[in-house]
Amino acid sequence: MLLMFEDQHKEHLSFLTQVSPDVVKEFCRISMEFIRKGTNPKIFQGAAQKLNVDVDTVHHGVEGLMYLLTESSKLMLNEIDFQDSIMTLGFDEDTRQTLLEIYLQNRREIRTILSEMTMDLPHYHNLEWRFDVQLASRSLRRQTTPTVLFKLHTEDSGVKDTTILQTDPVNLLHLTKVLDEALQEMKSPYCRRIVRNIK
Amino acid sequence: MELPQSMQDALTLAGESIHIPDAQFPSFVEVAFRGVINSNERNAIENLKEFTSKDPAAVKEAYAGLVAMVIEAAKQDTDIESLSSLLEDCKFPPERIKEVSETYQKNKPALQILLGSVGRTPAHIVDVDWRLDYYVKNNHMEKVNEAVYLITLKTELPSLKELQEVQFSCSQEQLQDLVGKLKDACKCLERISQG
Repeated sequence: MLLMFEDQHKEHLSFLTQVSPDVVKEFCRISMEFIRKGTNPKIFQGAAQKLNVDVDTVHHGVEGLMYLLTESSKLMLNEIDFQDSIMTLGFDEDTRQTLLEIYLQNRREIRTILSEMTMDLPHYHNLEWRFDVQLASRSLRRQTTPTVLFKLHTEDSGVKDTTILQTDPVNLLHLTKVLDEALQEMKSPYCRRIVRNIK
Repeated sequence: MELPQSMQDALTLAGESIHIPDAQFPSFVEVAFRGVINSNERNAIENLKEFTSKDPAAVKEAYAGLVAMVIEAAKQDTDIESLSSLLEDCKFPPERIKEVSETYQKNKPALQILLGSVGRTPAHIVDVDWRLDYYVKNNHMEKVNEAVYLITLKTELPSLKELQEVQFSCSQEQLQDLVGKLKDACKCLERISQG
């Protein structure tokens, strides 16, 4: 699978074809910082002065790089596809090598950052359990009822929530058995075949 | 077993044949017990047509005393001796004591189950449903390729008839963690029940 670039993108990145690989590395570093923390226009000024070009050119160059890196990470391009995609941009050998290295080093991190934007369901975080015996209540004295108390911690896009639940020994065994079966299901031949074939 | 004085006086009325004739006493006792256990039979006493007592207020008070005794006895897990001695204090004739004791013995388990279920508890898990999905991609990322479980815990609350649900998702590792913790709890349970 190859990345397709629009003419505008190619134009923005064309600036980088004229500079040395060290400058490209520096631009890549700036792009990664921006991907992590958001853009900071003041940096463009400094860089533009040093390189003796327009602020806009620097701006577009960095944005073009950010787009290249995020799209490649999003599609999880392998090495060959990445190299083929940037072939058309007119970079020289060293620059292409540099870009490839930066891509491979950072793509995990970029994917983690992208995943923060995706929708999240309330997911399991932790389970605390405790075994109690109920001895009495206001309406009945002299009981011996075994109870298991749970505190289920869930998290939804960073917001943590706890739910207090209880169960009795019979239901605890049933719960464990059913969830264990669910876990084993992932190891069944059917599921393994599906996982192998969806790539 | 102790009852407040007003209830004890009311109970004494139930032992007197002026207010509750001997012939009607067994069904009187039966209706009292059934009224406590079954919420739709709470007013069954109204249907007892054989009461020809001249003092309906006394019958009402006697019924109140009997019901109070039934609930208090079950609550305190009273044995037959204490119950009999209380009824003797209330001047019940021996046949009536025997009648009440027998009905109490028969109904005690049901009464205690009913009393035990009164009160607030956290949601009680009774069942669990699960679903396994394969997460392929989303609108920000492709090739996610992860297994995701959606777990639904069905819970019961004492005041509500329908089951409530607690839903959450799990990755494979998280489910592994959850099942591991549940297995620990089961082992702890086994050890306690054996030791």
